[in-house]
Amino acid sequence: MKPKPLSSKRSDTLFSLLLDLPAFLLLLSFIVVPIVDSVIKSFQAYGVKNIITKKPGVWNDFANYLYLFKTDDFVGATLHTFSFVIGVVLVQFLLAILLALILNSNIRGARFMRSVMMTPWVVPTVISALIWMWLFQPQYGLLKYLVSLVTFGHLSDFAILNNPSTALTGVGVAALWKQIPLMTLLLLAGLQNVPQDISEAAMIDGAGKIRRFFSIILPYLSPVIKVSVSMSIIENFKQFPLFWTMTGGGPNNSTTTLAVLSYREAFVGMNLGSGAAITTLWMLMMIAVIFGYNKLFRVQEM
Amino acid sequence: MKTTMKSDSKLFSFFKYAALAVILLFLLFPLYWVLITAFKTNMEAYRYPPTFFPRHPVLTSFLSLFHENNQFFVYYKNNIIVSSFVALLCCVVAIFSGYSLARFRHRWNTWFFALLLASQMFPVISRMISLYSIMGKLGIINTLGGLSLALLAAQAPFCIILMSSFFAGIPKEIEEAAYVDGAGRWRILFSIVTPLVKSGLVAVGIYAFLMTWDDYLHAATLIQADMKRTLSVGIALRYLGELSYDWSLVNTISIVGTIPVVLLFFFFQKYMIKGLVAGAVKG
Amino acid sequence: MKKLLAMLLVVLVTTSILFAAGAAEKTVATEKPVTLKVANYALLESGYEQFWKNVKVGFEAQNPNITIEWVTAPYGEIVNQVVNMAGGGDKVDVIFGEIDWVPGLVDTGLAAPIRDILPPEFVNDFYPDVLKSFEVNGQPYGIPLYVSPYVLYYNKDLFKQAGLDPNTPPKTYTEMLSYAEKLSKLKDANGNKVYAFGQTTASVPVSGASLNAMVFNFGGQVLDAQGKLSVDNQGFKDAISMVQLLDQKGYNPQNAKLKDLRNLFALGQLAMYYDQSWGFNGVKSINAKAVDFTASAEPLKGGSGSGESLLQAHCFILMDNGKARTAALSKFVQYVISTDVLNDYLRDLTPAYPAKNSMASMESVVNNGILKGASPAAGRVRVQTFIPQISTLNLELCSLAQAVTVGKQDVSSAIEKFKASATVKISQ
Repeated sequence: MKPKPLSSKRSDTLFSLLLDLPAFLLLLSFIVVPIVDSVIKSFQAYGVKNIITKKPGVWNDFANYLYLFKTDDFVGATLHTFSFVIGVVLVQFLLAILLALILNSNIRGARFMRSVMMTPWVVPTVISALIWMWLFQPQYGLLKYLVSLVTFGHLSDFAILNNPSTALTGVGVAALWKQIPLMTLLLLAGLQNVPQDISEAAMIDGAGKIRRFFSIILPYLSPVIKVSVSMSIIENFKQFPLFWTMTGGGPNNSTTTLAVLSYREAFVGMNLGSGAAITTLWMLMMIAVIFGYNKLFRVQEM
Repeated sequence: MKTTMKSDSKLFSFFKYAALAVILLFLLFPLYWVLITAFKTNMEAYRYPPTFFPRHPVLTSFLSLFHENNQFFVYYKNNIIVSSFVALLCCVVAIFSGYSLARFRHRWNTWFFALLLASQMFPVISRMISLYSIMGKLGIINTLGGLSLALLAAQAPFCIILMSSFFAGIPKEIEEAAYVDGAGRWRILFSIVTPLVKSGLVAVGIYAFLMTWDDYLHAATLIQADMKRTLSVGIALRYLGELSYDWSLVNTISIVGTIPVVLLFFFFQKYMIKGLVAGAVKG
Repeated sequence: MKKLLAMLLVVLVTTSILFAAGAAEKTVATEKPVTLKVANYALLESGYEQFWKNVKVGFEAQNPNITIEWVTAPYGEIVNQVVNMAGGGDKVDVIFGEIDWVPGLVDTGLAAPIRDILPPEFVNDFYPDVLKSFEVNGQPYGIPLYVSPYVLYYNKDLFKQAGLDPNTPPKTYTEMLSYAEKLSKLKDANGNKVYAFGQTTASVPVSGASLNAMVFNFGGQVLDAQGKLSVDNQGFKDAISMVQLLDQKGYNPQNAKLKDLRNLFALGQLAMYYDQSWGFNGVKSINAKAVDFTASAEPLKGGSGSGESLLQAHCFILMDNGKARTAALSKFVQYVISTDVLNDYLRDLTPAYPAKNSMASMESVVNNGILKGASPAAGRVRVQTFIPQISTLNLELCSLAQAVTVGKQDVSSAIEKFKASATVKISQ
């Protein structure tokens, strides 16, 4: 082969498309087509019957969407989803950055601790749900015991997953447990990328700890924060196995998120059309959130 | 850095260690609790107040896992096969598309990148029914291969983006020089550029492995034969029955089901941490 | 380039191994032999696995040309699984499951009328009242292996400790409340609270069915004969008020699944609770000694009700896959629902009542100590009208129960909310 200049545009493009092809085909057949299909179904009367008889769904004048707003389930699920995402991401970020700063502060055994603390992250989600169900168990769970010990027996029936006002927090704790390690790791690595001389120079200037953090370290961290927070938003927005295993959406629907609602509608109620309507709106919300989030960051960077 | 240590006031330092202890306790104590429950009998596990160390440690649950409930190891094996396969293919796909995205800027790639970003946001649930009939038509339903492809599609977008951030960090001049020496495009990609992003590749592979190991919804829908089930589904199906809980066994399974990923992670953690971080920083 | 080739080779080899497994299995269908696909969640439940494995061995030995292929999924997923498979063109022949799964499967067009597949002399041996519970449009769409009302299990030891006669269980809700007052003062050996009365309210369809049974206890109804929501009756309101009262008094473990109740009961921390008769297998799997202190009684009477209950059944729901397979299926069903096969099962694993005449005098049923007390109730079950959205309705009932208990709402307004929401959902 004769050497030719790298910038021969057309062959570059062709080569690049060739490289994209396997991934593109994969995404097309396993993601794009099923998604488009589900959006189409959201406008149809489409039940399990249609799958079996192979009859196509029939257009039903937005009935699936109208149905969602006839009860307060959908609005409730949206609220639960957003409170879960906001709560978990916020607390996760605060704890992770705290832990990262501590581990970065030259304490003894930091490397070892960094490795060990990653363990929850590799525990499969279903298993972490089980672990927390066991800790939260309302009759003989460890948490019940600890709470009654700490409150000197005043609160002796602590059952976080059984109370509609705390159940979402309970699932959130399990989510935090599994997710804090990764975010800490990313932030920690970001911290280690902060050039030492800059940080030290600031110290000679007499910049206080807190000021140093906000004016020097934080800007350096900003790209890592952006990525890790957006990963966390997406993951929690999509969270399903934790809810399904731990609460099934109860008590009194207080942990029914969009994921639980759509699964229940489509696979328990066997109404795929309205299930698809939920997932469609859910996707739109997620895209809007991520879009808005990126905008926010862009504004900050300017 | 020594000076920093000295400048820490006692109170600050106390606060620091207290916070560290609390967070680490939160992250690690549940694992200890699972570990000791696995060694308790069911009757002791249900004791209240709970015992912080098994009074009569027994191996009943472990033995029953090996003798009676050994179907578990079929799930285990399948999970290893599927996760390895996905990890391997994910690396290949990520090299291809990651390189393409990092090197060639054209209209199509902008769209392709948008597609990758968007496809991470689609809930798995909305894909499941259509996926089932599509895979049925392709004749790959209820096969580990079919499951792997579906999972590969789910993991690929993140891996590609991660990989492309590594490729983006390789100066173009290296490739130009190779071109002048007469190397073809494929050779440049595989024998010159790819070796430079080895650590990223390991990170991508392990990430894909871990995420596949974690899968529940795909396997629950796309696999029917018990002999082909993977771990999460197997556990949920077989050991979380409607009839009753066997908490000792569940805790034993949690331990055994987590060990390989923990080992894998610790063995490769250097690459993994470097890779994920580099990806996140540059992405 | 070499590396690339090597890599491709590895991928190719792994791929072919992975897909080969799938391909090899498809080349089974030759001339005569028939393969029956039996969807059965119970194979995943440790208590039942051995029984079903023996069924396969025994049946295949009798019918060498028929092979049983199990299709398994967890209890909560198996209906989806069967439906998904059918959507992909792969229909199972029979699903082992609950009576409540019948309307949904009929609605999807999967379930076939049993009279189309099973011989009349076999079907006619079943109690007509029981078969009625399986009817959609006048045709039964499922055949029960055995049946059970909701049974009141109680702990004789705890009764004794509370100074109550272990041989006279409560008959009405009022009696139960006075018993409960004494029972709730007890502590177990470790000083833990003893719950007096368990009624499941967690968000799973079977809890809804159990609540529905409680409404029947009070002489109320949830659906009318036409399948329309009908909850403006005293019995319904009484039942929901009772659920609230049980919670306020701290008698009922909050938000519990049936398996949570079984756990507590097995450990001696729950004095009385409602369960399907076979729930006892779950109790026993936790504490084998539970046999000594467990007794059963009829469901309680409440208000103006006569203590009627809801029929629960484990049944086969059949599907039509052409002549050869339905013929084999008919043999399979007749093989399983027989004294020979079910005798040990009903004695050791699943206390329940037979559903047909020729099994009435089975040794395991006649001598079942656990079920003796509840026996009269088996004749007082009420048929629930089938609607395709029965699972959704049951989940709504759970939400209602949670609203008046952990949600702290008052009964009337919670019922109004339930009505609004359930009406929309079952008209979907």
